[in-house]
Amino acid sequence: MKSVFTSIIFLVFISCNSSNTDSKLKAKNTDKQNAIDAILIEDSSVSQMPLMVERIKKIKTVLAEKKPIILLDSLDESAATAQQIAIADIKFCENLFDKKTQQPFRNEVFNAYAARPQEVPSNFQNEKIYKVEMYNYALNLTTTALVNVNNKSIVAVTSFPISQPDIPSHLKKIALQIAINNPQVTKALGYKPEEKEALMANTKTALNNTKCERSLHLCVAPTFIKDNKALWVIVDLTDYKVVGIRWTNVGTTEAPENRISERKLKFEKIMECYCKKISHLEKYNWKLNYVITTSDGMRISEVAYNDKVVVNNAKIVDWHVGYSNTDGFGYSDAVGCPEFSQAAVVAVSDPKVSDIIEGGKTIGFALEQSFSSEQWPLPCNYNYLQRFEFYNDGKFRTAAASLGRGCGNNGTYRPVFRIAFTGNKNKFSEWNNNTWKTWDREQWKLQNSTTTYTSEGYQYKISNEINEGFFIEPSRGQFNDKSRGDNAYVFVTKQHIDKDEGEKDLVTIGPCCNTDYKQGPEKFIEPSPESIVNTDIVVWYVPQMKNDDTKGHEYCWAESYLENGVYKTKVYPCMGGPMFIPIKNN
Amino acid sequence: MRNSLKISVAISMFFLASCVDKMTEEEIAQIGITSCRKPASFIKQIELDPTISAFSTSEVRMKGVVLIQFQKIAGDTTNKKIYQDSSWKQFGNMGSLTTDDNGNIYTAPLPVVNNLDFPISELNKIYKIDNLTGKLELFFSLPKPDTTVEIVPYAVLGVYFDCHGKKLYIASVSGSTRDEEKGVIYVIDINTKKIIDQLKGYDAAGVFVGGTTGEKRLYFGSTRKPNVYSVALTKDGKFKNTEIKTELTLDQLGSRGSDKARRIRYDKFGNLIIYGVEFNYSLAAQTNRLETGYQFNYDETEKKWKFFKTLQ
Repeated sequence: MKSVFTSIIFLVFISCNSSNTDSKLKAKNTDKQNAIDAILIEDSSVSQMPLMVERIKKIKTVLAEKKPIILLDSLDESAATAQQIAIADIKFCENLFDKKTQQPFRNEVFNAYAARPQEVPSNFQNEKIYKVEMYNYALNLTTTALVNVNNKSIVAVTSFPISQPDIPSHLKKIALQIAINNPQVTKALGYKPEEKEALMANTKTALNNTKCERSLHLCVAPTFIKDNKALWVIVDLTDYKVVGIRWTNVGTTEAPENRISERKLKFEKIMECYCKKISHLEKYNWKLNYVITTSDGMRISEVAYNDKVVVNNAKIVDWHVGYSNTDGFGYSDAVGCPEFSQAAVVAVSDPKVSDIIEGGKTIGFALEQSFSSEQWPLPCNYNYLQRFEFYNDGKFRTAAASLGRGCGNNGTYRPVFRIAFTGNKNKFSEWNNNTWKTWDREQWKLQNSTTTYTSEGYQYKISNEINEGFFIEPSRGQFNDKSRGDNAYVFVTKQHIDKDEGEKDLVTIGPCCNTDYKQGPEKFIEPSPESIVNTDIVVWYVPQMKNDDTKGHEYCWAESYLENGVYKTKVYPCMGGPMFIPIKNN
Repeated sequence: MRNSLKISVAISMFFLASCVDKMTEEEIAQIGITSCRKPASFIKQIELDPTISAFSTSEVRMKGVVLIQFQKIAGDTTNKKIYQDSSWKQFGNMGSLTTDDNGNIYTAPLPVVNNLDFPISELNKIYKIDNLTGKLELFFSLPKPDTTVEIVPYAVLGVYFDCHGKKLYIASVSGSTRDEEKGVIYVIDINTKKIIDQLKGYDAAGVFVGGTTGEKRLYFGSTRKPNVYSVALTKDGKFKNTEIKTELTLDQLGSRGSDKARRIRYDKFGNLIIYGVEFNYSLAAQTNRLETGYQFNYDETEKKWKFFKTLQ
């Protein structure tokens, strides 16, 4: 049976307002409720708008020119002269191209104007000094030139990393068009707004200096007032898309307390909706609860198939990343909530539910959660995907992927899964010499080249006293997810009622760089393994995925590349994790 | 008769307190500017030049504290010498540093990426590098958090030795949760190793004692909001009262717009220099630690700190 990691369609953005428990909160028009009502948007269909088609065409034309700079037109004579002098200057133009590949960046002159008195150096007070501001979208860099228009010379050139000039009117128009044509904006307002209804889009934000701090993109926030509330639409002018929308209460003071930025929009939404409350999901034959934890990624619990609970809970307690050429170098990352957590790599998007399609037929669904370092895909930054698959026939998979990029090309990723099964009369068996051999005591085993499997590919099974339960099928690359196999350590421990061995959030369970079985779960086995026959059982599963940056064979890897003059990311996930197939008793 | 005795005792105590707390304008104005800090004696023994050496807790791939000797040309980081005593890394990663008037160095555990070095309940401690022996040892254990449920994975985020009152100020967020700000700013007498005062209910990172505004005040950078607050201090370094004043905000300043004040100092002119970083109470680490310096100048007329510029 093939899983279909690559055939995701019908993406569903989960609303945390669907639960009945929100009705009381909704009644209160609070900032917290506004955070909950915010919508994070990861895709956008603005590219076919006539204005955008024209814009992209212009960008492509300019990128092919010797000096890839989108110039300001309709300038007065002095400003036009200043612009021409500036773009002829070597220092002003030193960041037009990627220094390694010589590919052009998207550069645009945003402003050319008579310099303000305080901007003019004292020894040029009697000269006609103009200021030209150019923005580099790829580097998020502003370069300014002070130009003496009288003698057509450069006075000074300065670069400002991670900064943006005020946007020109044509970009304001684009931002407004993107905002008013967004269906989520129309839905939130209850009607399609007009351009004139948006406030102050020519500042970097709607009302104040809000930022797109994570993406480091140029963002503006057209804002629409309705009754006593303001709808902030954060528009990314680097990628021409809406990042998200959020209401704020319009205060009586000039500067509202709650300015909306990309980080605030995302973090507060995730904290309120998915970290502070448990969400419930019912789909096809399955019911389950899920929550983003402070250090154990997304945790699913009370997982029921056909109304019968089969798994108490499942999660990833750690990601261990070790690098082979430096002894002991690596990281032991917890993943989880973006604030007030022990997470080193944090959730930055909503959980997503998607159908799994095979041969045109829906055979199940997947629940996914992404976690990302702020500067990913820069080196030594990480991006992880947690994925649970639930199939109509009762099988399920706990999976996880690294999307690179890490600190080198010799890294091994070891996510530590913890799966607590329901039932207190369970036993765990291994396929060995053509028969199922029960494990009497807590222990671990490594999947390797000598491992034997049933004809179906099963290595283990967990079953109760009437042989109900699941076969466990480790990945050997058969799940159609481009996996190169799990090479996994499996640990089985007894679930204790009277002591916590990972049932609650676990802080980092083990070090980064152990290459042997000491990945953390052994702490609950050694030195005196307990009986695991006819009892509650926890399965720990630690796949080992080695990264690869070889061209054409990339794995657990991410690369930046330039598209239309700005950086995009191509990812090469390495997916690991076992399938659990229900035992069918005849 | 009894009443008059009470009154005279009260008056005497008032004058005694006033006398003890009396500071001249010149004295106050120098607080935070005039330094008493001495280089540790052991530095010469390890053949490093204390005048161009500095302690650091943020060297890449090095745990704990290191001593770096820079080149004599300012800004030249080539051929720098790095020294680390074996005791300086034995307790794991450390954070904020301060030096006292004898050359002793105080620091505290700071988790990096995870809490493997220190369980959260063991973080609330101060360590000291002795100026004579050069060894890092536990100096003082602050109270442990009263719960382990949902508390932040940090404790001490700021340490500062005040040369004027000869006290150690420690900002700890130990035991705080998302919903409850339970941070404490401690005042410690380093000679008696006792907490002599504390300000409860404030999560803070950068701490600093200054007097250029005409008052001896403790400035502290909130880790909840991008604000710097202050509270008045007595001459001997205790809190005069619990009236907290908002001094300045980093809101919308710099490239991130919501930095928290990690470090606060005066420049030689008495302007406040605030070093701001992003802080969300998670263990998310950044490869390129983004820190911005902000200069605020004091407007004598309006009695306000005003933003002047960011420092490149």
